[in-house]
Amino acid sequence: MSVFVARLRALPSVQVTLAMALLVLGFLIAAQIAAQGPRIRYSSEERSPLIDTALSLQAQRDSLKTEILGLRQQIGQLEAQDPGAAESLRRLYADLEQARLAAGLIAVAGPGLAFRFEDGSPGSGVDALVSAQDVRVLVEELWLAGAEGIAVNRERLAATTAVIDIGGSILVNSAYLAPPYLIEAVGPPDLYDRLQGSVAFVEFVQGRVERSGLSLSVAQLNSVDLPAFAGTVNPRFARPEPPGATP
Amino acid sequence: MTGRHVTPGASAPHQADHARRIWGFHRLASRVSIAVVAGVLGILAVGQFRGQAGAPALAALSATDLTQLIANLTAGNDQLRAEITDLRDQAAHLTEAHDRGETTVDELTGDLGRIRAWAGLTAVSGQGIAITVRGQLGGDGVEDLINELRNAGAEAISVDGVRIVTGVVVAGAPGALSVENNAIGDAFEIRAIGSPQILTGTLTRTGGVIAQIGTTYPDAQLTVTPVDMLTLPATDRTLVPAHGQPRL
Repeated sequence: MSVFVARLRALPSVQVTLAMALLVLGFLIAAQIAAQGPRIRYSSEERSPLIDTALSLQAQRDSLKTEILGLRQQIGQLEAQDPGAAESLRRLYADLEQARLAAGLIAVAGPGLAFRFEDGSPGSGVDALVSAQDVRVLVEELWLAGAEGIAVNRERLAATTAVIDIGGSILVNSAYLAPPYLIEAVGPPDLYDRLQGSVAFVEFVQGRVERSGLSLSVAQLNSVDLPAFAGTVNPRFARPEPPGATP
Repeated sequence: MTGRHVTPGASAPHQADHARRIWGFHRLASRVSIAVVAGVLGILAVGQFRGQAGAPALAALSATDLTQLIANLTAGNDQLRAEITDLRDQAAHLTEAHDRGETTVDELTGDLGRIRAWAGLTAVSGQGIAITVRGQLGGDGVEDLINELRNAGAEAISVDGVRIVTGVVVAGAPGALSVENNAIGDAFEIRAIGSPQILTGTLTRTGGVIAQIGTTYPDAQLTVTPVDMLTLPATDRTLVPAHGQPRL
């Protein structure tokens, strides 16, 4: 035994370092191969192709959204460059910009709040997961407090936006969003005070967030950046009524 | 390190020089080996972390959830593609008009009308559904209905004659509902423009939102009726932000 220890001590430190590095290397290679194993096995099951399809569709969606924002910007520039810039035309262009701003088609920045909404500790059950209903309640309270624009994980909420559950995550504007959720709102400087003054908001925090162990933190910011809505604004069924028409 | 037997009486400076060269070579070889191993180690570690970071949340979804997600993404992407086609056409028309030196009043007016209608700034009409609500229903129940209507593709919604746009919330306990500071009675109508079949099917399916509301609010009676032509009013709300500034 003492001979073995003596030999070990006689080894130069470089060789010991090299041996340890090779050990870690071996461990990582084994981990990598082990990680590949389940994937290969999954390929014969139904979920793996579904995950691949969902990932591919999400990537397509991101690319389509980027193209839409680019085209809208291009159209705005073309309209602004109109050669016959008469007063009436300039007014029309200004109205168009106001309509786009009102519809959430233009990114805005202003004072506001940023909430971080997270699930409770793992293993605490379904109640400790932030649901679409939770996000909707927070969003509704923000609207009632006077928010002018809201985004969830950089998805701008518009007139047609639904927030629905999918597994332990949510869909917003058909975008798959996983927790933690960043809920940003632009509004009056006293937005947080207004929110705290809401009985329903206090009940939500005490009765749902705290009771279920969810995590909700907030920051009051001088400037919150909200992205533009990048979905479709082309109604298929709804037709504009002539001005002055009453239902 | 290789052991080397040194014969007493041999040339000491020569041996020392030889030993230095061998030790120097060994040190260089060790350094190169360590560098190579560290490099491979780094690549593997990055690969491992990336492999674990890819689609972490999706992996937790069930096959049913994934199928629903794919259906949603497919429908959403189709809509985005249709939007891109329209925007490309619009951009092409504008470019042609510019090239011909023409004004684009018609384009601007059409675009303005479309966006204002979509945002809720003008009244709109079209086919859809009417939901008659009778009995005690809370604001959360009405908001659940609105959310489900949006999910089913409703293009415009009104509650008790008030257009639902961004910022408008139906709130209050049963019997004390209000929207935009207007009290809502125990009997009112929700109107939505969109595909009557899809809207009706989504709301009334087994385990759907109406079934869920029936569990929470057993006294509420909801009747869904497809309608060929509905007209929804414009909102009274100012939607242009007063505190948020455009970030172009």
